[in-house]
Amino acid sequence: MNLHDSAVLAARNAVRRPGRVVLTVLAVALATTLLTALVTIARTAETRVLDQVAEGGPVSGISVIPAEPTADQADQDLTSGGEFRPIDDGTVDAIRALDPVAEVLPVVSTPVFVVRAERVDGSRVDGFRERMVGVDTSRPARIPVTPLAGRLPAPGSTVDVAVTESFLKRLGLERTDADTVLGTELEVAAGRIRSAEDGPGTRSGDTSIQGRWRRLTIVGVVAQGAGSGQLVVSVDLARQNWEWTTSGIDAGDELGASPSPYAGLFVVARGIDNVGPARDAITGVGYASSAPENLIASVDNYLGVVEIVLAAVGLIALVVAAIGIANAMLAAIRERRREIGVLKALGARDRDILRIFVLEAAVLGLAGGVLGTLLGNLAARVVGAVVNGYLADQALPGVALVFPLEVVIGGIVGPTLVAAIGGAIPAWKASRISPREAVNTA
Amino acid sequence: MSPSPPLARPSVDVRGLVHCFDAPAGPITVLDQVELTVAHGEHVAVVGRSGSGKSTLLSLLGGLERPQDGSVDVLGRDLGAATRDELAQFRADELGFVFQHFGLLDTLTARENLELAGTLAGQGRGERRDRADRLLDAVGIAHRRDHAPPALSGGERQRVGIARALMNEPRLVLADEPTGNLDDDSAQDIAELLASMPRQTGATVVTVTHDRTLAARADRIVELRAGAIVETAPHRGPRR
Repeated sequence: MNLHDSAVLAARNAVRRPGRVVLTVLAVALATTLLTALVTIARTAETRVLDQVAEGGPVSGISVIPAEPTADQADQDLTSGGEFRPIDDGTVDAIRALDPVAEVLPVVSTPVFVVRAERVDGSRVDGFRERMVGVDTSRPARIPVTPLAGRLPAPGSTVDVAVTESFLKRLGLERTDADTVLGTELEVAAGRIRSAEDGPGTRSGDTSIQGRWRRLTIVGVVAQGAGSGQLVVSVDLARQNWEWTTSGIDAGDELGASPSPYAGLFVVARGIDNVGPARDAITGVGYASSAPENLIASVDNYLGVVEIVLAAVGLIALVVAAIGIANAMLAAIRERRREIGVLKALGARDRDILRIFVLEAAVLGLAGGVLGTLLGNLAARVVGAVVNGYLADQALPGVALVFPLEVVIGGIVGPTLVAAIGGAIPAWKASRISPREAVNTA
Repeated sequence: MSPSPPLARPSVDVRGLVHCFDAPAGPITVLDQVELTVAHGEHVAVVGRSGSGKSTLLSLLGGLERPQDGSVDVLGRDLGAATRDELAQFRADELGFVFQHFGLLDTLTARENLELAGTLAGQGRGERRDRADRLLDAVGIAHRRDHAPPALSGGERQRVGIARALMNEPRLVLADEPTGNLDDDSAQDIAELLASMPRQTGATVVTVTHDRTLAARADRIVELRAGAIVETAPHRGPRR
């Protein structure tokens, strides 16, 4: 008897006792639901936590600062640079050419004056000094900037600005009020020091400050770890302002502008395994770097353990379901001794009977696995919706459910295999039934 | 269906057969020094009271269990020396069984029940379907081929059972109380079918029965009493 014929017979037999089949499949489905939902939630939590650790950037992200490396900095997560060393376009090209490096995203930071900002109630906030951070917003997934409300400034825009939560506090707002500032305007000025003879300025004496004014529209509220500053703009706008400030007679020093064209680089390694080699190579180029690789590895290990524990809970349920299948199979075999005897009288070999019953158990496992995977997906979505509702109340970014293909495959193949294993002993017992049962009249 | 070529040896040759069952009070001898020869193409009815060993003898002839002492030679094969797999193959290739309880699988249709026997005999899909349809037609049940056994009457089920027994063109058909669960009219029809089997297929038929009417249609009647053959009715020779 070939596999196809055995499978057809097994499938027919599997549905002959609808009540028992439904209960058995339901037990497998519930176990699979639990397993699938727990693993999905664990994976989603892992992704979320790692994302938080990486501050919204990729987990293989590395921050390069304008400083020479110290002897042991490449082994540490935190930045600990040596002597100042400017980062310019040549540095960007040199690091971009490194093998373990996938991408280099420059970060510009420059001092500005926030000349006018209005609260929602219309009252004005006194002008204050702030820093403007320019990032490549065309690669949102690659930079450590996470929108909490609204969007990032458009790439190359000279009118869009995103502000941080700290900036909201200056306006007397909480994170939950983020939506209310979207669309409001800021007047921002980049200053430069010039001598008094060069023209009127805002300061008396030998020098004066000449401002370049811009009216910016707040398009988003963000959490960011790209650089120090509460205003996030396109890298082009920040660069223009930095060039303006550093074109002063003091090269921007008095206003706090860095002599380095780039305040830092955000480097993306070719995968988390290449973070270490990339940092070593950056050290070779002559720059200090930092990356949360050790923290990420620790968190990843910890979350791995959580995932294993949750999966074990699901697996225990699955094993209990497999015992249920074995029990149902034993009951079926007791009822079908004569039928098995008849099959043997007709020429079925022991292995034919074994295969029929193992396949029968596998069919129950498969049905339970498919149903359970669907229900598990649904359960995870429900949990995700509840969690996202809570996060939204707290004005925190929502969680995108991670439902990896291996969970789907595992949720179907796993119960099928476990059921087949659970059915193996009853199937073996069935295969040993004597063909004499065929002529027993009892 | 063309008859198989005759064998040089008899279809069934049983010598000094002894078979016991274990019981709490000690072993019970079910068959004791049984000697039986059945010629090729012969129809033999084995009769006897309940517990006389008829079904055990049938099981031994069909290789459903092994003889404990003596020899059972069927179609030239010593069944006592065959392995489990060899016996299974032998049953699939050479034997046909008809059961008192019909032995049909309720989850399959009449045609599928026949096809299952063809599958076990190694027949291809097309071949077994053609043969199943032909046999169902031959036993007068073609119109019920797509019905599952629970939807058939006892007589119809046994016709399906007989048709299934012929799926592998067996050289020996073993029938265990084939009319035991049937009303008189159906029993009459089934007796007719079985009696015509040697003539139509060339198969040897051994029928175990209580039914004297069925037994009377056989070429020879063998009576078992307390595990021993006590009487053999006059041999009329196989019908041609």
